[in-house]
Amino acid sequence: MAERGFTRRSALVLGGGIMAGLATPNFRRVRAAEVLHVNTWGGVWERAAIKNLFEPFTRETGIEIRPVSPVSFAKLAQQVRSGAYEFDVTTLGAGEIIRANQANLVEKLDNTDLAKSPPFPGAVFQNGASSHAFATVIAYQKAKYPNGGPQNWADFWDLQRFPGSRCMQRYASRILPIALAADGVPADKLYPMDINRAFRSLDKIKPAVRVWWTQGQQSQQLLRDGEIDCIALWHARTLELIDQGQPVEIVWNQAEIERAYWVVARGTPNKDNALRFLEAALRPERLAGFCRDSLNGPLNPAAFNHLSPAEAARMPTAPAYKDKVFEQDILNFGGDVNAVTQRFERWIGT
Amino acid sequence: MSATAAATGESSLKSWLLLAPLLVFLAAFFVVPLAQVVVMSVTEPEFGFGHYAEIVTDGFHLRVLMETFVTALVVSLCCLLLGFPLAYAMAAAPASLAAAMMVVVTMSFWTSFLVRTYAWMVLLGNRGPIAQFAEWLGFAAPELLFTRFSSTIAMTHILLPYMVLSLYGVLKRIEPALPRSAASLGATPAAVIRHVVLPLAAPGIANGLTLVFVLCLGFYVTPILLGSPREQMVAGVIGQQVEEFLAFGEASAMAVVLLASTLIVLGLYHRRFGLDRLWG
Repeated sequence: MAERGFTRRSALVLGGGIMAGLATPNFRRVRAAEVLHVNTWGGVWERAAIKNLFEPFTRETGIEIRPVSPVSFAKLAQQVRSGAYEFDVTTLGAGEIIRANQANLVEKLDNTDLAKSPPFPGAVFQNGASSHAFATVIAYQKAKYPNGGPQNWADFWDLQRFPGSRCMQRYASRILPIALAADGVPADKLYPMDINRAFRSLDKIKPAVRVWWTQGQQSQQLLRDGEIDCIALWHARTLELIDQGQPVEIVWNQAEIERAYWVVARGTPNKDNALRFLEAALRPERLAGFCRDSLNGPLNPAAFNHLSPAEAARMPTAPAYKDKVFEQDILNFGGDVNAVTQRFERWIGT
Repeated sequence: MSATAAATGESSLKSWLLLAPLLVFLAAFFVVPLAQVVVMSVTEPEFGFGHYAEIVTDGFHLRVLMETFVTALVVSLCCLLLGFPLAYAMAAAPASLAAAMMVVVTMSFWTSFLVRTYAWMVLLGNRGPIAQFAEWLGFAAPELLFTRFSSTIAMTHILLPYMVLSLYGVLKRIEPALPRSAASLGATPAAVIRHVVLPLAAPGIANGLTLVFVLCLGFYVTPILLGSPREQMVAGVIGQQVEEFLAFGEASAMAVVLLASTLIVLGLYHRRFGLDRLWG
């Protein structure tokens, strides 16, 4: 018996030793070459980020970056609660970053170099590093409007002058300001919003809206298939269609700009490296490359020094569009965003 | 205790042991999460039956439920109207032709319903064959997509195999001599169907209607992609509550109501026909 016990135990020790031997170097290797997990939107966006942001960062610091997708706000909340981090850094839109701060989900940037000596005005907002922006623009079928389609949101609402089917995103905080602009509210008076007026304005266009899109792909498909004559969609999706040779026109006038921010997940063990990444991601040359490839607009004005005029013309934040576009202002929304969204969803269903 | 009783006792123990992995799996991955959903519906964000009260009183939820039920009913009836002649023809056809028809029905059954949904988008779209045919005839292309019509037709297509298979099962078992003797006694073909075939096929019809109705209650993707924004099915509203508002309590309450409605339908079926017959 003793002999058998001894063999069994020695086998355990031996096995354990092998396990430890196998595991340790691997463990050390991960520690030595540090890894940062960054949440990405996948596809073109991810390729642009890897080439222009991740690889230069790794070359400079030796810190490896692994992309993680998809982007999920719910996951950010989940991992701060559970302490198990799938990603250390992610991007958030304006509405989300405010919710993230209210729920205490992101690291404070107060004592970082980024906050103390910002590379440009507005580089830090709500503990996020202002990176890039996209816009909701008007796009239309050239064949449907040979003499030119709607040039602003009031035109988009004008079913007499521009008959045809409409399509917009099923997303209250983006559509309500547009509805006010269509109703004649000047860009600097949009916020805080007159929510009731926005809904009254929406009532006028509702019968022409055949479908409310929910996925970027879907919005593109509707336009490509000729299902919709006139649509409010993201500028990048429109540019992709135009680049593919689709007979579609993009209108930059009254483009609605929405900013995206890099944030660090609160409590991540990689906080220091994550902060280094945030600082590096705002550098003009890298940001310019990222925006060029991902079809976004840089928020760092210096990035335009690295972009040709033709490239800048494809970006909603270009200086040339400054007086034509307007920005979201979620801090000054004019109501509880969730309650307004609920109201919007029910309004669509009636 | 006799030897046989002991043997049965042992074999039933064995069969329980064989069932155990499945039962543990179902308990862990179905019963427990489902119970959590029920608990969440009365505890998120705080304890109470507020979500249920809201569903009953606020008008919106009841309307969505009503619309879901009406849609499911319409789809079930459409499936019956289209499925009965097909199943009847299959049951009457020679074996090789019946097999070929069966392959067609089951092929559409095996194709992912997402693929079938997108196929309908192509067929009903502005540049699809139907619109082009209408234009060729000189009509303006009708707007077919994003209407109640488009979602109903797609759901009918997706659920039709369930109806055909349950009808085929009973129609195949009808003694061929019965309709023949009715005809030889002077019944018209319509009278044969009405007085002989339909009564004998009644269990299959009830099966098919129940299956299609219950499956249709939970439809999610098809109405969202093809339907009009004005008609919403319960499953779509639940998805939205979770994804957009993180309102787990409200979504859970809706899910429980949907589950309860499904159980009521199945309960009615069980009292009349017996649940064990539902799958033929």
